Amino acid sequence: MSFQISRPCCAAEFLENSRATQWMPHNAAKQLLMMFLLVLAMSCLLIDKSFAAEHIIQLTAEETQDDGFGNKLLAYKMESHTVDGVPITDRYSAVATIPGPTIVLTEGDTVKISILNAIPGNGIPTPGISKQVSIHVHGVHYDILSDGTLKVINKNHDEGAGAGLEETYVVYEYKWNVAPGTAGTWAYHDHNFETHNGAEHKGLFGAIIVNPIEAPSYAKEYVLYMGDDAFWGMEINGTDKKQSKHGANPTLSAKENTNVRFHLIALGTDLHTFKLNGYRWFDPGTDNLINQAEIGPLEKHVFTVKARHSSVYVDKNFSNQLMGMRGQFNVH
Amino acid sequence: MFTKQEDRHLNDKDRKMSHQHISGLTKPLITAIFFVITLLTSSFVLAAVHNISLTAETLPNGQVAYAMAGHEAVIPGPALFVKQGDTINVTLTNNTGIKVGFKAPGLPLPSSAKVEPGKTKNYHVKASKAGTYVYHGNSDGKELLGLFGAIIVDKAHGPVDSYVNADGSIVPITQADVDKQFVLFMVGSTFWGTEISSDGTQKPLWANPNPGAVTDDIVRFHILSIGPGHTFHLHAHRWLKTGTHAIIDTKLMAEDSDTHSFTVKAGTGVGAGDWQYHCHLIAHMEAGMHGSFKVDPIGGDGASVVGASPYGRILLGTKNEPGLVTFEVSDEPASWFRSARGDAIVTLSDPSAEGSPLQGGDIKTRSLEVMSPGSSVNFIMSDTNGVHTISSLLWPTGAHHMPFDQSSAYRGGAIVKLDTPGLYVFTCKVHPYMFGAVIVDDPNTDGLDLGNPAANYTIDLVTGINGLPTSSDLAVRLLKTFFIATSPTNWQDYSSGLWNVKFPTLPVRISGAPFGNIADDGNGYKLALSALNVQNQSLAVGNAPTTPGVGEVWINTQFEKTAGKYKPGTTTVVDATNWTVKRKVALPQINNNNPHNMWSSRDQSVIYQTQWFDNKFSMINRENGKLIKNIQVGYSPSHVVTLPTTDDITIAINGENGISVIPAGTTKVTKMMPTQAHGHISANPHGHWVSADGSKIVTPNINTDDIGIYAANGDIQARTPTGQNAPGAHPIAIGMMPDSSKIYAANLLHHTLTVVNGNTGALIKTINLIADYNPINGSLIDNDGNGELAVGVLPIQSPVSPDGKAVVIASTGGQIVIIDTATDTIVKSLDCDPGCHGANFGAKQGGGYYAYVTTKFGNRLTVVDVDPNGDGNLSDATIAGYVSLVDGVDTAKDDTVIGLPGFGGQGVLAVPNVYNGWVQNLPAAWKEGLTAAQQKPIGQ
Repeated sequence: MSFQISRPCCAAEFLENSRATQWMPHNAAKQLLMMFLLVLAMSCLLIDKSFAAEHIIQLTAEETQDDGFGNKLLAYKMESHTVDGVPITDRYSAVATIPGPTIVLTEGDTVKISILNAIPGNGIPTPGISKQVSIHVHGVHYDILSDGTLKVINKNHDEGAGAGLEETYVVYEYKWNVAPGTAGTWAYHDHNFETHNGAEHKGLFGAIIVNPIEAPSYAKEYVLYMGDDAFWGMEINGTDKKQSKHGANPTLSAKENTNVRFHLIALGTDLHTFKLNGYRWFDPGTDNLINQAEIGPLEKHVFTVKARHSSVYVDKNFSNQLMGMRGQFNVH
Repeated sequence: MFTKQEDRHLNDKDRKMSHQHISGLTKPLITAIFFVITLLTSSFVLAAVHNISLTAETLPNGQVAYAMAGHEAVIPGPALFVKQGDTINVTLTNNTGIKVGFKAPGLPLPSSAKVEPGKTKNYHVKASKAGTYVYHGNSDGKELLGLFGAIIVDKAHGPVDSYVNADGSIVPITQADVDKQFVLFMVGSTFWGTEISSDGTQKPLWANPNPGAVTDDIVRFHILSIGPGHTFHLHAHRWLKTGTHAIIDTKLMAEDSDTHSFTVKAGTGVGAGDWQYHCHLIAHMEAGMHGSFKVDPIGGDGASVVGASPYGRILLGTKNEPGLVTFEVSDEPASWFRSARGDAIVTLSDPSAEGSPLQGGDIKTRSLEVMSPGSSVNFIMSDTNGVHTISSLLWPTGAHHMPFDQSSAYRGGAIVKLDTPGLYVFTCKVHPYMFGAVIVDDPNTDGLDLGNPAANYTIDLVTGINGLPTSSDLAVRLLKTFFIATSPTNWQDYSSGLWNVKFPTLPVRISGAPFGNIADDGNGYKLALSALNVQNQSLAVGNAPTTPGVGEVWINTQFEKTAGKYKPGTTTVVDATNWTVKRKVALPQINNNNPHNMWSSRDQSVIYQTQWFDNKFSMINRENGKLIKNIQVGYSPSHVVTLPTTDDITIAINGENGISVIPAGTTKVTKMMPTQAHGHISANPHGHWVSADGSKIVTPNINTDDIGIYAANGDIQARTPTGQNAPGAHPIAIGMMPDSSKIYAANLLHHTLTVVNGNTGALIKTINLIADYNPINGSLIDNDGNGELAVGVLPIQSPVSPDGKAVVIASTGGQIVIIDTATDTIVKSLDCDPGCHGANFGAKQGGGYYAYVTTKFGNRLTVVDVDPNGDGNLSDATIAGYVSLVDGVDTAKDDTVIGLPGFGGQGVLAVPNVYNGWVQNLPAAWKEGLTAAQQKPIGQ
């Protein structure tokens, strides 16, 4: 609720989103005052929800190394992440990865997440082409100024970092309210690069995992994004929370008889049929045991299994299967 | 007691809704009767019988749709709200020109049979299960043009749905709680909407609307789909996945038909805003599949914004609102982008169409549309088995929303709003002769605007050429190409002896004095395109070559129509020893679809053939033309080549991102070798080649504008761009030196030939095939200084002769260009028929080689002798003769030719295969017909 109360103070967005162009709302001072009052009010309300953490996160978006032939992808990198002021940045990869950092949150948390654009030439406006990158998140609550879309869609601003179609920002900050009812795994991705569709299919995607307050823990968690020719995955160690094994079709590992959780999200144009050979799991939100799942772009599918034997995860899509879209799940 | 009363109220209200449009009678009496019945039935609800009269109608833009009888036809069709257990009796009267049925997948329906035009039929649907159901016209794909609607079956008692509140609580709702409902149909890459207000009134929102609500309104969405699959995503809202406790914000809509109903509290937890909704398939997003859910602050009116309407501002439109023209994407020759009213436009514009507003317009193409600025163009892949893109080729200078393109080929459709007046031509990047044109005409100017009136009527091209005058020779050539490609009556039919080309008589407004001779009438330059007409030009096939060839020539006559199948295309086998058509292979049993290119097995007993507008690949017995096997290989397979070392089959999957491999002697794809690194844009390879030593597979990557060099195991060795830093080169076919020292790639849209080092992939040279051509006035001057006036417009296949001396380039603009590989310069260009396309070499009897050249919009084979006297000097290259591809009385056939005889020449294959690397592996019987030099083309 506290986050809701802070909502009218949208002016905060304008102040915090540092713009390259000179532009301020004419009543900025008044709104700034309002914001202070509201933040005060918010702080008071926060007291009775002491478990709710505040996350301050900064991501950058950059080009990856080329494929040897001059073709590059884009990727997010975690610059810093503090939880109630405590840094946890060392959990993340020190370099930009595909998928991007997995951001683990708990229902009730609040997030301020900003994006810095490190793609060369991003600050130079070009008519008809957006050079912005943004963070459009699924699942959690945010107001229209944190939609991470271009003005042509949201009718407010080009909500990203770099030269948009109409506006340029050096850094853009989004506020997420990880409200009750948002538990689950959700995608975040760019929505602004080049066109209003963004560059989610060029590597700018990642996941957030919103746990309910009393959530069980897992020995390992795996995020597997199903793309049009590969799984883009990563692994989170349940003990030290470190994130590793980023990349295409990663080999995942688990200790025998430990509980592990898979977070599948699809992305691109293909429709997929996911299978983890020899395993069954509960279809999310039901009591039905299944051994494969149909997944379309930006759908999510989260399940847990007890790691009993090594296996292979695959996409049964005709072409992707032939193309070798699969990876090892090693249990030892 | 309270609950019961509420139920009764709900029940009453629901019936009012669903019956509102059923008859013209006013409702109070009926309502009263229902109310009494409801009271009498007290705690249980009587299963109702709904008698519904529907008609199927043709809309002004040619789309077809259902109407509640007596009302306007709408897309989606009227939403039918019933209760579980109810019966729906539908009386359907078909007022369209096609057969229409009524089918409701998932609900018991004894018959969904189609009803003939002008006839009426009854259908009975039992609403046995609660849920949301598609109903559709069951019309062989035409239902995707608008014959679809929703049946919403709610439980007779209790809540109809639940929503997720801002605090995370799940709140059940009854129908009475719902402030408004939206039906959003996902079809192709377009949303079709209907708004249903709380009193049950239905309002069409048409294509890609912006549904509106006020913050905290309870809004029920009914998402339905028909055709290829989608995912539905609405920004900043969450809801329950039907039948589960899972909270989602994106939902798969599976292929064929699917439904998903959910309820949200508008803006809950997130506030007011323009919240985008869209399909989340990236290709569909790029194709325009989105709108906004406009959530107003409390106190706002929550009004929806209507999208583009089939009745709106288009040629012959009936309403003053943003309009929509629609093209069906088809596998049908010439009608690849067929206006939904294409047949009607051809008929209405005929000189004999008395009383027609278009009489005498003489429009022979079904691929041209005219509309006003601010209207939209819609594409639906309803008549194709392939994958495509909908990509702009040219547009008025500086036009909004241009270029329009998608980053990969897909199944679906496209929609784009066109604000700037002028001509827009769309193509498919995978099949780049599919054309659809839209003239966006400013109604305040005289004549149809071909360019942007605000920029002196110029156009921009996808290749980076901006501000091209519409009076220029190049613009006129492109226009001619469009009108010839899309209208078979303009093709060169040698069996008729005459050639006529008719362009529309409609006056057009262009940049300046066009085609030489018209003057400014004080109001700019305009003329009728029919000034370009060709009248009764005589056509003769010409003589066959005097020296026979060796073996057979197999030609994919890809447009030829036969009686036994719906899809076009045959393979025409020419006996090279006597230049007669020996056989037609149509393969009606598999509905053989657009056979495009071929290769032969090592022993020459099996012909491999791709179906370019499908996902299939055929193996054919060469001797008897019988089908051996039809195999799924991936979407839009284009070319096939074997590895000379192993005889394994490699197939370029033009609609996707790899090369499929079938091991020799087997009939199943074992792997698809990616043509790009993981996660990179699909290369979409077209006409690949394999090095003589089998070590390299070389692809022209049409989507990434580069040449890809891959090891036989798939390792990527090089990706060499061919565009010289300009966009849209579109490399389409590869030729390779017999010693693999050089690779040649024809760039269709740049009119260039790229030469790269066969070992390293390093760029050696880019040969400009139109250096001698002045695109503004059309004059030819020897600008490249080679002593020849030679031009190759829109080059396609470009094989290197087996002895490595010549590259022969079939150019679709109507030229055959010959390159000397010793100097990599043009030595000659020869005339070719319109749509010149395929080329491949075969052995000439007694030594030397013929290049067999095919054309799409003509029906003869051109036989080129690149070096008649065999002295290695190519300056005497000449056309040795022609062969008609029309079947004769002695032609063996597996089906009867019924249209476009011998047309659509594309892939061509000489048997025996005499290329270096392959010729050495021929069985002895085949080698006997070859000279010693032909058996060792480079002396080894």
